[in-house]
Amino acid sequence: MPDKETSNDVDELIRRRMQVEVPVEVEDRLRRRLTEFRARVEQRPPNRFRMAYSLMHQPALRTVGMAAALLLAATVGLLFIPRESRASQVFAAAAAQLRSAPSLEYTIVLNAVPYVAVDFSYLAPSYRRLNCSWGIEVRTDGATGKQIVLMHATRTYLTEGGKQVESQANADAFAEQLRSLPRAADEVLGEQWTGKKKLLGYRLRKAPPNGSIPGLKELDIWIDPGTQEADHVDITVQEQGKPAHQMHIQNIRVGAAVDRALFDLTPPAGYTAIAIPGGDRRSGDPAPVLDSLALRAQIGQGAALTAVVMPMQGSYAQTRSALQAVESYLKARGVTPAGPPFGRYESEQHWEAGYAVPPGTRVEAPFQLISLPRALTASAVVNGAWAKDSNPRWAAFLKSVVEQGYLPAGPPMEIWTGDDAQPARQSTEMRIPVAKATE
Amino acid sequence: MNDRQREYERLIAPIEDRMMGAVWRISGDPNDAEDAFQEALLTVWKRWDRIVKHPNPHALILHICVNAAHDVLRRRVRQRRWIEEDAAAADVPDSSSSAIQDMCGAEQRAQVLRAIGLLPKNQGRAILMHAVEGAGYVEIAAALACREVTVRKHVARARARLRTLLAHLMPAVHKEETSNA
Repeated sequence: MPDKETSNDVDELIRRRMQVEVPVEVEDRLRRRLTEFRARVEQRPPNRFRMAYSLMHQPALRTVGMAAALLLAATVGLLFIPRESRASQVFAAAAAQLRSAPSLEYTIVLNAVPYVAVDFSYLAPSYRRLNCSWGIEVRTDGATGKQIVLMHATRTYLTEGGKQVESQANADAFAEQLRSLPRAADEVLGEQWTGKKKLLGYRLRKAPPNGSIPGLKELDIWIDPGTQEADHVDITVQEQGKPAHQMHIQNIRVGAAVDRALFDLTPPAGYTAIAIPGGDRRSGDPAPVLDSLALRAQIGQGAALTAVVMPMQGSYAQTRSALQAVESYLKARGVTPAGPPFGRYESEQHWEAGYAVPPGTRVEAPFQLISLPRALTASAVVNGAWAKDSNPRWAAFLKSVVEQGYLPAGPPMEIWTGDDAQPARQSTEMRIPVAKATE
Repeated sequence: MNDRQREYERLIAPIEDRMMGAVWRISGDPNDAEDAFQEALLTVWKRWDRIVKHPNPHALILHICVNAAHDVLRRRVRQRRWIEEDAAAADVPDSSSSAIQDMCGAEQRAQVLRAIGLLPKNQGRAILMHAVEGAGYVEIAAALACREVTVRKHVARARARLRTLLAHLMPAVHKEETSNA
């Protein structure tokens, strides 16, 4: 083999050229060094670890020693591994938990005052439930595409077959966002103490590829390093041409036992059904009274409203007494109402009745001053006694809203005008914030 | 005789000459040889407890000596001290045949050392252990604490590089072999 031959030639050249005897004077110098070295070796003290080393050759002691060494290494690791590295591990663990959790529950707080929030529940493989603080509940089975919308305040439900609605799409975006966090955060925010609990904060500046929230600017997630579970999330959204706003995800429960009944697509007892054209009618027949009520909701920008209200809970039959209390209070303060009385119903646990007043009016507890912003609203006026056919006319009204391609986006209101003593001259305006349903 | 004396007798005494020879052959200068030897002994002193337990302590000690000498050689190549030495050698006023042969031999040895000094550290050490000290690949691998295949790669690359650097000396080897025969 020529290669081997050449290689041997190189080796041979080196060997020949370097095959030289050590000159005597050089050997003398080197031997002196060796003698010194030998003397040092002979005086070398015994190795302090030698005894320990020889003991380690006994299997039992070696096991104990190894365990002690591992413990020491773990302690040293915990003390000296850079905080950044440990923090990254906590984030990765929390993200992995969110990704693989069989269930997920949390509350999205859209506004703290007045409280506007959505309780979200997810159950694998594809069940979702939204329970809005303004009295709407949406249950979806993603596998079949079926969905029901329950109107708590008006005791009606809508069926929606195979159609995505905007509110559901947004909630899905939040859920998908949390369930598709990347393995590493863009920034570690440091520690935050909430009571006795220490939390580690992380910031994501760009949306992960899946389930991104439109306009997401920053997502700050706070994780309990002890349990490696997400504690809360602060989201900053800035859509083009709109001011930035923050939303908060709280009460996060990852992998907790969730009541399956929350995702039942059978309409609960006590609800009136309204079938949406093209929707799934199997869930229940529409109430026959709907056809006799020729109601058409008017969609338009509703004016902003400032009002003094009495916060209430329990039966809606208390409406009259609540209004009387507000009326007396305003009269005593010399405030003239700026509009007729109204009731606003998020749920039986949270509703209010009151009067529109000029902005800047000062109130004391238990009364509250509320400001409702200008918003897209559906409204319809029904003449007749205020309490007459309340459920069927709301059902007809909501049917009209849905038929026009909108869905409720806030609590319903009733505004009452006319003479208290003459029911025939009374009229009721039904009003509800709406949003365009997405196809 | 205490434990240390026994250890010295076992580890160092049998290879004292090989240690001195390795250092001298590679460094090629009395002062450099002494420096390299001192460095090597210091390393041996520091690693004494490990050397005592090493499966092939002699190979390891020779490897330490080769390393120390090779480091000195590389340092000298970098400092271009060769230029001065070459100039000094050329000034020697001796025209006898044996003196010329010695001078040629010394010059060629200097060229070989210079070429080895130009090699990367691991390649230089591997080829010196293999070609000069006659150590096998397994032995070198044990001393270098690496795989045998890695040693083979270092040696092969060193040979390739040296073949280029010392191409002008290669026929001389054949010629000498022929004349010796």
